[in-house]
Amino acid sequence: MDDRFLHEHRREPRPEFARSLRARLRASGPDAEERTGFRLHPALAGALAVAAIAVAFSFPAVRAGAQQVLDLFRVREFAVVQVDENRIEQLKSRHLDPEAFLGGPVETLEDPGPAKRFADFASAQQAAGFTVQRPTHLARTLSPDSVFVEGERRVRVTIDTRPMRELMDAMDVRDLSLPAGLDGRSIEARLPVVVVQTFRGEGKRRAALVQAESPEVSMPPGVDLPRLGEIGLRLLGVDRDEAHRLAGVIDWNTTMLVPVVASATRFQQVSVNGARGVLLETSSTATPDGSDRGPGQALLWTHGGRVFALLGNFRQTVDMVQMAESVN
Amino acid sequence: MHDAVFGRLWALGSATEEDWDALYAEQLPRVYNFFRYRVGDGAVAEDLASRTFEKAWRARHQYRRDLAGFGTWLFAIARNVAVDHFRQRRPHAPLEEAAGVPGGPTPEELAERRSDFERLARLLAELPDRERELVALKYGAGLTNRAIAKATGLSESNVGTVLHRTVGRLRAAWTEEG
Repeated sequence: MDDRFLHEHRREPRPEFARSLRARLRASGPDAEERTGFRLHPALAGALAVAAIAVAFSFPAVRAGAQQVLDLFRVREFAVVQVDENRIEQLKSRHLDPEAFLGGPVETLEDPGPAKRFADFASAQQAAGFTVQRPTHLARTLSPDSVFVEGERRVRVTIDTRPMRELMDAMDVRDLSLPAGLDGRSIEARLPVVVVQTFRGEGKRRAALVQAESPEVSMPPGVDLPRLGEIGLRLLGVDRDEAHRLAGVIDWNTTMLVPVVASATRFQQVSVNGARGVLLETSSTATPDGSDRGPGQALLWTHGGRVFALLGNFRQTVDMVQMAESVN
Repeated sequence: MHDAVFGRLWALGSATEEDWDALYAEQLPRVYNFFRYRVGDGAVAEDLASRTFEKAWRARHQYRRDLAGFGTWLFAIARNVAVDHFRQRRPHAPLEEAAGVPGGPTPEELAERRSDFERLARLLAELPDRERELVALKYGAGLTNRAIAKATGLSESNVGTVLHRTVGRLRAAWTEEG
């Protein structure tokens, strides 16, 4: 079909129009200065999603103690749990977030505002307030791009078990009951400063190193946390026996669950300088505009109380592990 | 990406490269030309492209990459802007809107181009609304048939069939007029 006569009438917008519109957009809105060129809310959503999982499924195990101090959850380990894709879709359709799952409203105690982008490492480190670690070895063609710093955020959720029970009913988890005495109790989550270093390589090759002190989730002691963990696993679609077994062996004080869809993601345990890490691989990742960037990997590990995630579309996973091992 | 958790982790890293400047530079010509083919050349196309980006800018925190690519999301906004425009005004763009806006070419080239596009705009204005929108998405925005199908809710084969038929008619009229 000869359609050149239709194609050939496309025109570039007038440069002055393009410039003035861009300037107008930048100048508009209360958070215009946020727009140094990227959108952080998905990143925050990602962090919150992980924290939500931590809050929902990884309540700290109760230590016997006379003091009524808050128990604390800190990430030291990751445990990958394979779940069914349909179950994830079901949960997504029910807006799995702390507010929906734990029932009560999420109260923001500290909001750092939008993250900031830094062109130079020293300024970013100063903003972060701690010594930011960086890789000394970069995988082929990668070079440092930018550094982003997102401030500390603290939230509090007051538990209301009614929606949780409704969710259990909807997901057909009827043989387990929620521990008594949860209603009205508060959980606080502290999401420390997050630093993201981005790297660009040839073509669509990208990588990002995310690091933060471990998120902390605190709640009053005295709750049957393995039971909550078991319920969480069941909600994720883990079968009854396996959920019961895992709930008994997972250290709920220090283990963050990473649910992955078996059909879409492969995973393996790897060693990062002697620390146990989890390497996730997926067959396709998306660019910001939604096109396919090809296979991608995520490597999660902890070291010295800090949580690291290296993400990218590496040619070979060995390149990724080498880069992760060079972080110091 | 089908894995919700992995997707979120990936978003944690890749979101930071979501460079609005780059997206703007890439998408503005698409959106602008979508409107040129939809309503004609000139100030109206620029105004509608502006409105689209202003809406997208204000709603940028609502964009969810796990539901749609950025382009798909942006063109959903652009289509709504076009619908609002036609609702508020007339069903077809008046011919005076087809007047060009000065650009880089020489006055002679510009006059020729303008004349050609005016001719095309006149033919496009005679199309039923759905056909004109598909032509604008295909040839103005440069979307694939698959992307158009996703944006409009039509099947990909239906998009192909309608476009084939429409382009055939346009070409015949173009040749006849030329």
